[in-house]
Amino acid sequence: MKYVLEKHSQGLVSILTLAYAILALSRPCLATSSEQKPNASQRCGNQTGVVEGTVVYRADKQRPWRYARYYVNKRDRGQLAESVVVIRVDSREPQLAEKRAPVIVDQRNFQFTPETIAIRVGDRVKFLNNDKGIHNVHSRHLRHTFNISIPSGGEHTERFMYAGGIRRPYRIGCVYHSAMRSWIFVFNHPHYQVTKANGHFSLDKIPPGEYMLEMVHPAGKLSWSQKIKVRPGRITSIDIVVSPDNRTEKRLRE
Amino acid sequence: MVESSKTRREAIKTATGGVAAALACLSIPDFVFPGQNQDEELVPFLDMPRTPPNRLDWETLDSWITPQDQVFSVQHYGTPDVDHAAFQLELAGRIDHPRTFSLDQLKSLPVKEQLMTLECSGNGASKGFMNAVYNGNWRGTPLAPILKECGLQADAREVVFFGFDNNVETLREGTDRELSVPVPFGRSMSLDDAMNLNLLLAYERNGKPLEKRNGAPLRLIVPGWYGIANIKWLKRIEVRDSRYMGRFMGRDYVTVRGHRNEGEVEFVETSVSRMNLKSIVARITTRSRNKDAVLKSYGAAWDDGTGISKVQIQVDGGEWQDAKLDEAPRAPFSWVFFSRELGALKPGKHRVVSRAIDVNGRIQPSAQEDEIALKKTYWEAYQQWPREIDVAG
Repeated sequence: MKYVLEKHSQGLVSILTLAYAILALSRPCLATSSEQKPNASQRCGNQTGVVEGTVVYRADKQRPWRYARYYVNKRDRGQLAESVVVIRVDSREPQLAEKRAPVIVDQRNFQFTPETIAIRVGDRVKFLNNDKGIHNVHSRHLRHTFNISIPSGGEHTERFMYAGGIRRPYRIGCVYHSAMRSWIFVFNHPHYQVTKANGHFSLDKIPPGEYMLEMVHPAGKLSWSQKIKVRPGRITSIDIVVSPDNRTEKRLRE
Repeated sequence: MVESSKTRREAIKTATGGVAAALACLSIPDFVFPGQNQDEELVPFLDMPRTPPNRLDWETLDSWITPQDQVFSVQHYGTPDVDHAAFQLELAGRIDHPRTFSLDQLKSLPVKEQLMTLECSGNGASKGFMNAVYNGNWRGTPLAPILKECGLQADAREVVFFGFDNNVETLREGTDRELSVPVPFGRSMSLDDAMNLNLLLAYERNGKPLEKRNGAPLRLIVPGWYGIANIKWLKRIEVRDSRYMGRFMGRDYVTVRGHRNEGEVEFVETSVSRMNLKSIVARITTRSRNKDAVLKSYGAAWDDGTGISKVQIQVDGGEWQDAKLDEAPRAPFSWVFFSRELGALKPGKHRVVSRAIDVNGRIQPSAQEDEIALKKTYWEAYQQWPREIDVAG
C-alpha cells in the first residue's frame, strides 16, 4: 500500500512538473518557485497590484550617448539609473503626502546630488551647500519660482505645492555656475520611482485598471510610454528598453 | 483575498521590449566612443562634476574639430535677435570713408578660413567651469583690408567692436556721482592688433552658418586671444583716437596680478587679451596587457599661437615625462592633442598632471607658483590642473 501510494505520488509529481513546464513555456514570464517574492501578498494586497521591472538603455555605436557613463554603470545589461518611472494617474485632486522629512539635495563639487528626484506634492526639499564657495538654487517654473543664494555650509528648504507630473518637472539651476542642473518631479500620487544603479523599479499598491506607464530620463532626454493593465493581487512585470530612438529634443516644460 | 496563484506573474512584454530585452541581455551594448580604443576602459576622475550639454566633454574627447553640441556660449547682455536680412555692419570713426556692409556684401569679399581654439578666459577657474574651450574652422573675410580701404586717418589709434547686445551700466553705484547709461557690449584693441591679417569677420564655423548663441550672423575672430575679444553679434566697428574703457575692458575681465619686487608684492591690473600657455589631461584609460592594467593619459595643449614645443606628464609628484604630441592635425592657433602611457599603477589613488612648454621655453605654471598664486582674479586660469583617479585593484 505504501509502495503504491509512493508510486502514485511520484507519478503525480511528475505530471504536475510536466504541466508546470508546459505552462512555463507558453507564458515565459510565469514565475517559478525561485522567483517568488516572499512578501508578494503584502505587496499586492487583495485590491491592488504591483508593476515592476527594469529600465534598460540599448546603446547604438552610430549614435553614441556621451553621458551614458554617468547613468549606465553596467554595460553588459545597460541598466539605466536616474530615470523617472510613473503610473499616470489623471486626478485633479492633489493627494498631499503626510508631513515627512525633507528630501536632501546637496551641492558638492559643483554638482547637484542627487541630480534627479521625485517627490509628492507638499513634500519639502532641503538644499545643502557643501562646497567651499557660494552656490544658488533657482527655479523658473511657471507656477513656482525661487532664487536663493546659499553660502558654503548653508542650507535652504523649499516646499513644493504644484504637481507638474512627468511632463513639467522643476528644473533647478545655480546662477553662479551655469553647468549645474537638477530636476525635481512632483506628483500628486505615490506611484512613481526614480531608478537606482540597477535600473529597477517597483510600484506597489496600484488600484486595478488600465494605465499609461511612463518613463522619462531628463538628462538623457529619453522618454517612453506604454499602456498596461493592473490586476488585483497580481504582479505585472515589464522591462522598459530604450535607445537613441527614444530621444526627444523637446525640453521638458517647466 | 489573493489568489492561490498569487505567485504567478502576468508578464507583459512590449512589442519590441520582449525580444529586445532578451537581446539586451545577450548582447553587449557598445558604449565605446570613436576616439577610444575598443579594449580601453575609462578611469573616471574623482570629485569632478558631470559634464552638461553644450560644453566640451573632456572624457569623450574624440574630435580635433569640436562638434557644435559641445560648444559653450557665454553672454553678458543676453542673446539679441538680429534680423539677418536687414543686417548691416557699420564702420565709422577716424576713417575717411565710413560705410556699411550687408551680410551678402561681406560674403562677396575675399574669403579666408581660420582654424582656431577659442577659450573663455574664465575656463579653469574652478572645477565647475572646465569645459569652456573648443576648436573650430571659422570662415569669413579678413578685417584688415576693410579697415585699410576705409582710409585710416593719421590719429587713428584704437579700434572698438560693438555688438547688438546692450544693457544699462551703472558707474559709482551708491554714491552722489552715480551714473547709469545704456551701452552696447564692447571690446577694443590697438590699431596695430586690429590690422593683423589673421583677424576675421566670420559668418560660418565648420562649414555652417553661425548659431545664434555663438554670435550669428557675424562674429569677430581674433586668433590667439581669449573668447571675450571675439565679439559676438558684431554690429559696429569704430576707429578711435583715444582709448575705449568700457566695462569689459576696464572693470571686468581685468586680471589683477602681483609681482615680487625687492621683497614686496606690487599689483598690476591688465585687460584680458592674449591666451596663455595651457594644457590639461582630458582622460585616462586602462587596458589589460599581460594580465596587468596599463593606464594611458590623453589631453590637449594650446596657446596664443607662439607654438607648443612639448607637453610633459607627472604622476604622483614624480619625474616629468615627455608626452607624445600628435603630428597631425596641427595649426598655429589650434590645440594639439597629446598622449602618454602611464604604465601599471598600483591600486589606489593617484595624481596625474600635465604641463605645456612653448618654443620660447615658457613653462605652464602650477597653482603654487607666483605667476598664479599672486593672481587675485579668476580670469586667465592657465595653471596646471591635476587629475585625481582611483585605480581599481
